Amino acid sequence: MQATPYGHGTKWRGWIYAGPSLILFALFMVFPIVENVVDSLYRNGVPGLTLFNYRAMLHDVTFGIALKNSLLWLVLTTVVQMAIGFFVAVLLESRIRWGRGLYRTLLFLPMAITPTVIAIVFSNIYAPDYGLLFGVFKLLGIASRFPALLASARTVTYAIIVVNVWQWIGFYVLMYSVGIANISPEVLDAAKVDGVVGWRRIWYIISPMVRSTHMSLMILGAIQALQQFPLIYLMTEGGPANSSQVLGSYIFQTGFLESNMNYASAVSIVLLVLALIVAGVQLLVTRGNFAIGGGTRS
Amino acid sequence: MIERRQIHVGAYLVISAITLLSLLPTIYMVDLSFRNPVSSFSPSLIAGHPTLANYQTVLANPGFMHYFFNSVMVSLSTVALTLAFSVFCGFAISRLRIWGHNFVFYVILAGLMIPLAGLIVPLTMTLKSMGLLNNYLGLIGPYTAIGSGFGLLVIKGAMDNFPVELEEAAVLDGASPSRTLFQVIVPTLRPSLLVVAVWQFLYAWNEFFLALVVMTNPVMKTVPLMPLQFQGPYMTDPGALFAVLTLISVVPMVVYAALQRSFVGGLMSGSIKG
Repeated sequence: MQATPYGHGTKWRGWIYAGPSLILFALFMVFPIVENVVDSLYRNGVPGLTLFNYRAMLHDVTFGIALKNSLLWLVLTTVVQMAIGFFVAVLLESRIRWGRGLYRTLLFLPMAITPTVIAIVFSNIYAPDYGLLFGVFKLLGIASRFPALLASARTVTYAIIVVNVWQWIGFYVLMYSVGIANISPEVLDAAKVDGVVGWRRIWYIISPMVRSTHMSLMILGAIQALQQFPLIYLMTEGGPANSSQVLGSYIFQTGFLESNMNYASAVSIVLLVLALIVAGVQLLVTRGNFAIGGGTRS
Repeated sequence: MIERRQIHVGAYLVISAITLLSLLPTIYMVDLSFRNPVSSFSPSLIAGHPTLANYQTVLANPGFMHYFFNSVMVSLSTVALTLAFSVFCGFAISRLRIWGHNFVFYVILAGLMIPLAGLIVPLTMTLKSMGLLNNYLGLIGPYTAIGSGFGLLVIKGAMDNFPVELEEAAVLDGASPSRTLFQVIVPTLRPSLLVVAVWQFLYAWNEFFLALVVMTNPVMKTVPLMPLQFQGPYMTDPGALFAVLTLISVVPMVVYAALQRSFVGGLMSGSIKG
């Protein structure tokens, strides 16, 4: 273990410094999770431990939709955001000389806007008859074929996922830009000398060098997708006919609208277990090396 | 060479197109806020005859400012506490190397991987039993706990790079650990502190789910709840609703635009890793 100049006593007394963080963590994370587990084992208003809520979930069609949609969100948003973000960042860092910072700033701006604002703006964009998208269809002379994206069970989830992708692209671009900027020039020069250029350079040199950025964006994206709620709540309230429901919105519906906190707790456990799986996979793959930004240097 | 220049022009075109697409909804929002009631239902990007009437309507509405006041209180407190606690905890882990420092680090880092939606139900009950519903602390506490994962990751990473010789010199001069922390180490952390501050500010300013269930009293509601409050009353007056949305968005956008250079610089400079 590395020596510190502060003397041995601080190894115990130093816990005082970690105290505030640990207390907050215990109070607002550990304690609620424990309470959540306990609550999920009671049936609403009935005494005695039971697996009732978990058994009920198996037959709950809406829960099935919510789970399926959450997984769809998890995979689609993460993959699409990473792909576009990486592509734009590579272009930005290797092909753009002037205005790089301006592009990065402008692309990041949607990240600063409250999701509830974004939800209403996009509801308007998607709206039939007066929305912006309808205007485009009208301009192209195909107004009669305008799809009501938020009103159809087939398209609604994808339409909302697009909104999430739109908001988060700038964040992904920024993170990849940081990662790419931190690749040492010698590596890129060596690759050029060896004739590794174009797509092969991106695939065999740049992408592996920002591996830790891939990993952290994967987990941040997954967690962000799993806690999705505001866009769905304001754009569709989970409809039409529950078709856009995700675990977050279903927790709100069962717990706060239908006042069945115990069932909502059980759904929450499923959500937390999903996050645990994501985190576990990440930990296995990276062996604990979680990095944001210039993670390729040590 | 000619081929090379063509690629660059192409890159500018592609990036500009993507950037424009990314700004379009925001432009549309601002544009709608300047429309009169007649043109507000016109499916176009720019409609003629802009008016300031919507802003007059909205700003004349009493009980508008308290949303902003509440959000300022919650966001600034969250930022201050996250910074302070992350600095203390990072110091204990990185510099003091307390017993179990790895354990403490990974425990708090786990906060990064917990989706808030999964905590909403028990958190609400916990806050209720603590009497923290409709109380600033009911948001500040959880936001700080959640943000501490990111804060610690960034700040501990920056502290790991701090040269031990400087600490030794301070200790030899008789400085206590806390004095060394505040007078020697913290001043070198500015870029990292700024990254955490900007990130936490945007998070606390924009968070919706917890605010929705904790702040049920209209007087205590924060800015992200405004669209919900104004959607109904301004149903037939989209211009006014979009004026509200624009006003809401101005604060975080200005904060980010003002600090983005240092924010990006901070991200670029540090190898943030755990």
